[in-house]
Amino acid sequence: MKKSFLDYTLKVRLPITLFVALLAFMITFYVSRPERDGIGYQPDQPIAYSHKLHAGQMKIDCQYCHTGVTKGRHALVPSANICMNCHSMARKKQPEIIKLTKYYEENTPIPWKRIHKIPEYAYFNHSVHVNKGIKCETCHGNIADMEKVSQMKGWTMTACLDCHREPQQFLPYLENVKMVQQTVQLVIDKR
Amino acid sequence: MSNKIGTKNIWKSIKEYQEDPEVLEAKLHEFKQGVTDDFDPDQQSTFSRRKFLAVLAASTAYAATACTNYRDKGEIVPYVKRPEEILPGKPTYYASTFAEDGLSYGVLVKTREGRPIKVEGNPDDPINKGKIPSRVHASILNLYDPDRLQSPTISKVKSSWKIVNEEIASKLAEANSANKEIAVFTNHITSPTTAKVLDEFKLKFPSVKIYTTHLANDNNRVSAWKKCYNQNILPSIKWNKAKIIVALESDFLGKEGNTVENRANYALGRDIVYTKELSKLYSVEGAMSLTGMNSDIRLRLNPQLQFEFVLSLANQLMQLGAFGASELSDNVISLIRKNSLNNFAEKSGLQIEKLKLIAKDLAENKSNSILVAGDALNEKVHIFVNLLNDLLGNNSLYNYDHGFLIDSEISTPQELKSFVAKCNDGKIAAVINLDANPVYELPTSLGLSDALSKVETIISLSEAPNETTNLSKYILPLHNYLEAWGDHKTRNGLLTLQQPVISPLFDTKQKEEILLSWINTEPVDYHKYLMENFKTEVFDTNNSIADFNTYWLTSLHDGIVTTSKNSITENKFDQSIVKDFTTSLDGFTVLVQNNYSFGTGKYANNGWLQELPHPVTKVAWDNFAAVAQRTAEKLNIVNDDLIEISVNGKSIKLPTMIQPGMAEDTIAIELGYGRKNSGEVANEVGFNVNELLNENSLSQFIFGGATITKTGEVYKLASTQEHHSLDEEFVKDFHRIREIIQEGTLEEYKKNPSFLKEHKHEIFSITEPHKYPNEKWAMSIDLNKCLGCSECISACNVENNVPVVGKDQVARGREMQWIRIDRYYSGTPEEPIVSAQPMLCQHCDNAPCENVCPVNATNHSPDGLNQMAYNRCVGTRYCSNNCPYKVRRFNFYNFRDNFADSHYQNELTDLVNNPEVTVRSRGVIEKCSFCIQNIMEVRENAIRENRPINPNEVKTACQSACPTQAIEFGDSNNKNSYVTKNREHELSYHVLEELNVRPNVTYLAKIRNTDSEDI
Repeated sequence: MKKSFLDYTLKVRLPITLFVALLAFMITFYVSRPERDGIGYQPDQPIAYSHKLHAGQMKIDCQYCHTGVTKGRHALVPSANICMNCHSMARKKQPEIIKLTKYYEENTPIPWKRIHKIPEYAYFNHSVHVNKGIKCETCHGNIADMEKVSQMKGWTMTACLDCHREPQQFLPYLENVKMVQQTVQLVIDKR
Repeated sequence: MSNKIGTKNIWKSIKEYQEDPEVLEAKLHEFKQGVTDDFDPDQQSTFSRRKFLAVLAASTAYAATACTNYRDKGEIVPYVKRPEEILPGKPTYYASTFAEDGLSYGVLVKTREGRPIKVEGNPDDPINKGKIPSRVHASILNLYDPDRLQSPTISKVKSSWKIVNEEIASKLAEANSANKEIAVFTNHITSPTTAKVLDEFKLKFPSVKIYTTHLANDNNRVSAWKKCYNQNILPSIKWNKAKIIVALESDFLGKEGNTVENRANYALGRDIVYTKELSKLYSVEGAMSLTGMNSDIRLRLNPQLQFEFVLSLANQLMQLGAFGASELSDNVISLIRKNSLNNFAEKSGLQIEKLKLIAKDLAENKSNSILVAGDALNEKVHIFVNLLNDLLGNNSLYNYDHGFLIDSEISTPQELKSFVAKCNDGKIAAVINLDANPVYELPTSLGLSDALSKVETIISLSEAPNETTNLSKYILPLHNYLEAWGDHKTRNGLLTLQQPVISPLFDTKQKEEILLSWINTEPVDYHKYLMENFKTEVFDTNNSIADFNTYWLTSLHDGIVTTSKNSITENKFDQSIVKDFTTSLDGFTVLVQNNYSFGTGKYANNGWLQELPHPVTKVAWDNFAAVAQRTAEKLNIVNDDLIEISVNGKSIKLPTMIQPGMAEDTIAIELGYGRKNSGEVANEVGFNVNELLNENSLSQFIFGGATITKTGEVYKLASTQEHHSLDEEFVKDFHRIREIIQEGTLEEYKKNPSFLKEHKHEIFSITEPHKYPNEKWAMSIDLNKCLGCSECISACNVENNVPVVGKDQVARGREMQWIRIDRYYSGTPEEPIVSAQPMLCQHCDNAPCENVCPVNATNHSPDGLNQMAYNRCVGTRYCSNNCPYKVRRFNFYNFRDNFADSHYQNELTDLVNNPEVTVRSRGVIEKCSFCIQNIMEVRENAIRENRPINPNEVKTACQSACPTQAIEFGDSNNKNSYVTKNREHELSYHVLEELNVRPNVTYLAKIRNTDSEDI
């Protein structure tokens, strides 16, 4: 009787417990890796564009290309004609610029890989944040240092709430920041 | 007041009035019986929940181990050269024009990333002032209609434009050389440039003869006007200036003339909330119309008796000294003398007091009143009504500023008959249907479809298939109006321009371009042609200081140009044209009318319009024979009984609809239904009434001597009325006071302006009220101005991606419209008083729905909105159960997929969706969101510009669409908003106030001008 009980514990219970524990650990580990939130995502782009060169060394303002950032929801990936403002003259012989010119002349849009994406049911608006004086780097990381852009921060609800819980901590100079906080507090209270 | 309302037995249908046990039983249930039938657990899959979860877990685990570190997030594809005016994510607006049946509406087309998503009114339009009828709102669906014709065909075989044009050009040349007639069928041509193209076409092919058709025309009114005053301009009416309006079988608020303009001006005279003035509307009619529904005093009269009525009214007016006999010619005097009001009251059974009241009011308000005759009435009635208006000095209310241009005339029955004869004799070489559908639009008894079968070359230019294209050899697809150029001149001194807002979706062409390519051998660019014509006709005569290019672009931007006006000759009324007119009252009288949502049937293939409930009966997806209760009893018929109506040997079958307020022995029927070969949505919906029309008189809409037989068959109508019943059974137990509709009379209001606020208790809550630190959004609806016209529903459908569900689903009470217009009757079925009340989510402060949601899918926002997170909703429907207003809608299916075999779910029709609004799927609840996308847009702008939000800045779709400005929306935390002012007004009330849910939709009680303290 006893033997069979021990047998049962060793042969059935223990392996099941171990398996469940291992599985739970694996799943938790897997799900909680930063990659799951997209951190470090660095796809190859159709044209090897360097933000480090343009924004870092040459200090071109972000808004020169991302024209929509103060006007609307999307920051806008620049249309090819913005590139051609300079590159119709500059560095015409470089292989990447030849690629660019070809896209432009053939009137084919450049299929840039998307790096930053929030879920479709979340309505994020660039202009509202940028016009309040929030720097691009706050969410996107130091783009001016990136040869090839990758995602620096997780884009989960926590990322939004990190600021929105205590906005005055980050934006003490804003006049109506208290109002924003009140509003957020109301939402949190109701939960 | 409250006691009065309490005792006033409000009822929503005949069955309810008679306390039909079925209806009383139904009212106790949350959903109509049958709503949840599809979900019988026994019929569901036997696959158990456990098994399902097991498979789900296994597959998730598999997927989790199989996938890579990073999911692909797709691509961002920017423009190569971004057009300057387009900012992705922001709408761009273009001015254009929608024209139909001799009317035109200036519109602004909202486009996103180059695709039109909504049509709104152009606020610069001096006539319509930014308002458009429901069919223009819904017209966006026609652009993305999967039934549209997509390429030219010859004998139903796909072909190319080159081949088609060559073949047709040679046929036309042949016909021309043989001097055989080429018949061109068209609707009213309102475009001067199209008229010019047609003139050129006639010049090139002299044997061309043009036929103009128009079903449900206003020919009686127009020809009467021409005979009376010999003018080519019909004035509009200053409804706002009229103290007394007498509508004779006229539905000027519903379907006659430019309803948008009529409604707006009429509502100006009913603005009791701000002006304390109230005009008085009498309606004398046989059918229950929207105008009758809104009238202060309504008289039921068989339309055949209208002529006698106006004559006896004139007699009474003469007795009252409103005008003297010296002003009249002998023939008029003798006519008037023959009739007296007393005799008429006896004959018609109308109350003499009410009749005398009309005469008294008219006599006391000379030159401040107006009589208006309906389109259906005979020309002779119109002539006499014009005379009466003249005698009473009411012609001062005629507005000649931008009057209607009434130059074009429809073809006479003789012309059409000889056309049919010529067809049968083989004398017609070719028939061209220029965006017209004569087979449907002309009386069936004319025999046009048989005659056309004898013509070999039938060329149809049409946007969508219809009865005529079905008989045609050559079918040439046309642009939608949003893809085409054009200009329209329907009002004196105004030209509206139409510009394309999207490049053609299919291999289609502009109709003028096709005609021009037959005239000239090489293709002509109609854009250039239009510009040239504009230059000679408008620019050269307007003496502008700008150069042509600037002038043209500015005009195009504004969408509307003022041009030189046609002069108006003031002609005196020639009384000798007044003629006697006799009718017999044998049998039943049949009144044929236009329908509310899609007029004469051209836009029948539009699900949104088909599903728009009829404003009076609330029936969707069908036409019907409306009869009075007593007539139905006499004929031994009940609702949904199929009856056969025979007039002059022609007969049609229609389902019965017992309509309170109908004149006895009168049957009202609507046109525009019963289409064939016209697309998935329109085909076989309703019954074709054109079979009843008279081929000898195209503007006869009243038929006497009809016989009615019961067929014994039953045809179920789908109506949105019986369900969503507000739980009135509950009221009976609580002093019968529910105060959903609160009304008063002018006398009562004058005596005691705050009569509504008496007997009110203060309601308090045991919980702390919500805090709204910033804005608090609220709406107010002025029931004095709300006519129940349903245009808000149409605009809301487009703005909020509301799906079409189909007749079977409407019958089960599953329509998805976010607004419904509740229609209540009080009084008796013979003389009902009708109240309309738009009912939408009330966004309660203490919302009962929020407390019961198990997943917090519906919750409260800090700015007072009751919001839905669709992704959280699991479809328990507890919220709907707990909602006292019954405004929540459940997606029993993915309706886009469910309706007509996914007719509206395809790549093309998906483009109609507003990208700012989530497309809801099966199993979630949805409801009015107060157009949160518009609130967010305004908030975004305010933050960007670093300014506070203007309390009246946000406009909801229903508010912008409301022709009478009955709906206001804004911040109720701000003292300067219209909403706050309306909320604090003495006439304001909330529906079901005593529940203390604190709704944010305020209603302003309707005041009736009934000449007594009783309603």
